[in-house]
Amino acid sequence: MGRIAAAYNWFDERTAIRSLIRKGLYEAVPVRGAWFYTLGSATLVLILLQLITGIFLTLLYVPSVTEAWASLHYLTQHDAFGAIVRGIHLWSAYILLFVIGLHMIRTFFSGSYKRPRELNWVTGVGLFVLVLAMAITGAFLPWDQAAYWTAVVVTNIAVYTPFIGSFLRALWRGADTVGPTTLSRTFGIHVWLIPAILFPLIGAHLALLRKHGEFGSYVNYRGAYRSREGVDVPPAPKQRPIEPPYPAVPTDELWAAPLETEDFYPHQTFKDGVVSAGLVILVFILAVAIGAPLEAVADPATTSYTPVPEWFFLPLDELLLLVPQQLIPLVLVLPTGGVLLLLALPFIDRDPERNPFERPAVMVPGAFAVLFVVILTLLGSGRLFNL
Amino acid sequence: MSTLIALIGPALHTLAAELPSQAPQGNNRLAAQAAIGSLFSLHILIAGLVSGAGEIGPAIEFLGFVRQRRRYDRLAHGLGRFMTLYFSFSSAIAILLITVLLVGYWGHFWTTMVTIGWWPLFIEAWTFVLQVSLAYIWYYTWDPLRAFKGVHMAIGGLLAIASFLQVYMIDIIASYMLTPTNPQNPLRLALNPTSYPLTVHRTIGNLAYIGFAFGAFCAIRFLRARNSEDKAFYDWAGSFGLLWGVAMTLMQPIVGYSYAKEIQLHSFGSWYKMMFGTLSPVFLWQITLLGIMFVTATLYFGRRLRTDGAPGAGLLRAMSVGLVLTTLLAAMPYHLGFTYADVAAAGLNRPFWEGGLINPLGSMIPWKVLALMFYTLIAIAAVVWYLRGLPGVVWGSARRGEQRILMLMAVLTMLMIVTMGFIRENSRGPFLISGEMTIEGQQNTQNTQPTPAP
Repeated sequence: MGRIAAAYNWFDERTAIRSLIRKGLYEAVPVRGAWFYTLGSATLVLILLQLITGIFLTLLYVPSVTEAWASLHYLTQHDAFGAIVRGIHLWSAYILLFVIGLHMIRTFFSGSYKRPRELNWVTGVGLFVLVLAMAITGAFLPWDQAAYWTAVVVTNIAVYTPFIGSFLRALWRGADTVGPTTLSRTFGIHVWLIPAILFPLIGAHLALLRKHGEFGSYVNYRGAYRSREGVDVPPAPKQRPIEPPYPAVPTDELWAAPLETEDFYPHQTFKDGVVSAGLVILVFILAVAIGAPLEAVADPATTSYTPVPEWFFLPLDELLLLVPQQLIPLVLVLPTGGVLLLLALPFIDRDPERNPFERPAVMVPGAFAVLFVVILTLLGSGRLFNL
Repeated sequence: MSTLIALIGPALHTLAAELPSQAPQGNNRLAAQAAIGSLFSLHILIAGLVSGAGEIGPAIEFLGFVRQRRRYDRLAHGLGRFMTLYFSFSSAIAILLITVLLVGYWGHFWTTMVTIGWWPLFIEAWTFVLQVSLAYIWYYTWDPLRAFKGVHMAIGGLLAIASFLQVYMIDIIASYMLTPTNPQNPLRLALNPTSYPLTVHRTIGNLAYIGFAFGAFCAIRFLRARNSEDKAFYDWAGSFGLLWGVAMTLMQPIVGYSYAKEIQLHSFGSWYKMMFGTLSPVFLWQITLLGIMFVTATLYFGRRLRTDGAPGAGLLRAMSVGLVLTTLLAAMPYHLGFTYADVAAAGLNRPFWEGGLINPLGSMIPWKVLALMFYTLIAIAAVVWYLRGLPGVVWGSARRGEQRILMLMAVLTMLMIVTMGFIRENSRGPFLISGEMTIEGQQNTQNTQPTPAP
């Protein structure tokens, strides 16, 4: 036995690392539609990229209204590596928002939130909200014109919260207007508060995923699926016996486990690796080619600057533009109500049916919600082009 | 032959002396406008259906494929048949409109428009060729390609893209006429302030319109059907068309509002005319009509569920009451005169309880916006409730009343389309190109001419 093997055995005796790796790599995952499941791992990789580049940035960034812009300006102009790191931080955040959105849409349309995976969905919605919060708070930090006016608009939205709106705005701003306290508080929220909730929630999400197994979509059950018109679909050519983690708890017989499964390693890890590596390369290219913009230093006294919202804010921005000021509190009910509805979704839609084409009462409003956001984004971008 | 010429010749000479030597001008402007307006309306009513069918047909075929249900295939095939039958009629009207009426009456305008919008019109012409080719291929290869459904659906996908592009290209021209931008830049032209809202508005509108239209067509066929299979199919297809139409229309208040907002920001005169001027009564009718459409559709949903004792009918009835109330709120006029200017000129621009002619409950902000919000939200709930109740419906058992509602919906939609077209085209008046070229005499009105001189 070589020294390395001996050391490994020593370590395994004390930590049970071997069985942990085996458990981690050799669990059954669905065969069909596996490329769609890569969105979850891609989300995780992008969040880790955020963490790593974020740590690098905090080594130089100074969260003060007099130093924030200057520190980033120095980084952008005089430190080529730092400029790329900042570019990666920005572009991975943008792509993360897009990928996590796609991941949620995939989960929604495939009905993966249904029993026994309700809490997977709930933690996922929590993660989505936190990632969005990270993006919003991160947009304040450069303290250039765009950041300052984003801070003004976003903290002002808080005032429309019923009963405690003014208190919330004052709490966030730390004063009547956006200023030094706003920046330091937002920095604290961005690097401490949100990650402190985000990472445990990621752990819970992954633990639940491992407990119940990757669900997949109805295409994994095609062999057992019988159309309501009585058209029989031939069974899948090969079928593996159900193995852990399927079925974790008793559930609807038809949807207990995919008909065809394979080991997580190397099959799914290969697909996950391809997609994640592709996204990381894309982020790197965008970071080098475009980088992270830094406008002029924040000037609260300016009257000539036209604030342009971040792209992920476009739907809300368009909605706020369209609706008269008196009705803005009513409009803000939409995103809040939307998040609450998403959280409640698995408890409202309890029909075991997973085929998206067989559950129009959920799919049609869901598809329209997505379409609504897309249309608002389109309209908002068209308006910004003509500013 | 010479005898024949001798007989007919003098008559032709007399007729030639009576005919005008060129396109009627001057006093005939109103007649020309009426001719173009009515023909354009007819064109839009048919072309909207053709475009909508080119987009929804392939989608329904795909849906049938993944759901393994033959009735979707039958419906999609029927839409293909409709396209092949009516494409040429719609095209003939368009050709007549452009080559005879537009060139004849407003030749300078049309030359200018072709110069400015050369690229969109060039692409439009080719998408037209693509659309007609694909429509015929899609329809006539239905059976030959039955074993290669993927290929057939791909052809359908291309048809849908071509249909969308065709609408988008002509929308660039139509939106430019209302909110002109720098015409030297094709991208600026394509992304002028109202091009996105108009394209989204019209694309969704076409999709909704075809749904309501085939819903009505299926209602007629249902009433004539003699066997239970046909009855079941037309009952289902009518319900599907209405559901599709309503679901699409739900998007329209927000898209339409966004469109109006862009007009307010970039063509204030047109916006003022729509909201407070001579077009305001027509605009009020449009908002009311939208509410009536939602009420009528909800009535159908409730009745259709009640026929088979499916759950949800009672709640849908309550929703239709809510829709009536919000529609009434939306329908309230703000000024009780023809235009706000008339009311102000008479010194009566104060609330009616103070002896004036102003009804504050009819103001756009907040009341009409609230009414729009609420009737849209109630209509969304109605669609969801109907979908929830659908598993309890037995197709083929519908009654005559439901079919009448389906037919009424198509009529209301056509009224809506004509009303909207009337508002948009007249809001520019007295301009052909907003603020740049007049209808009367086709005069350029700006010093820094973005348009070529006549």
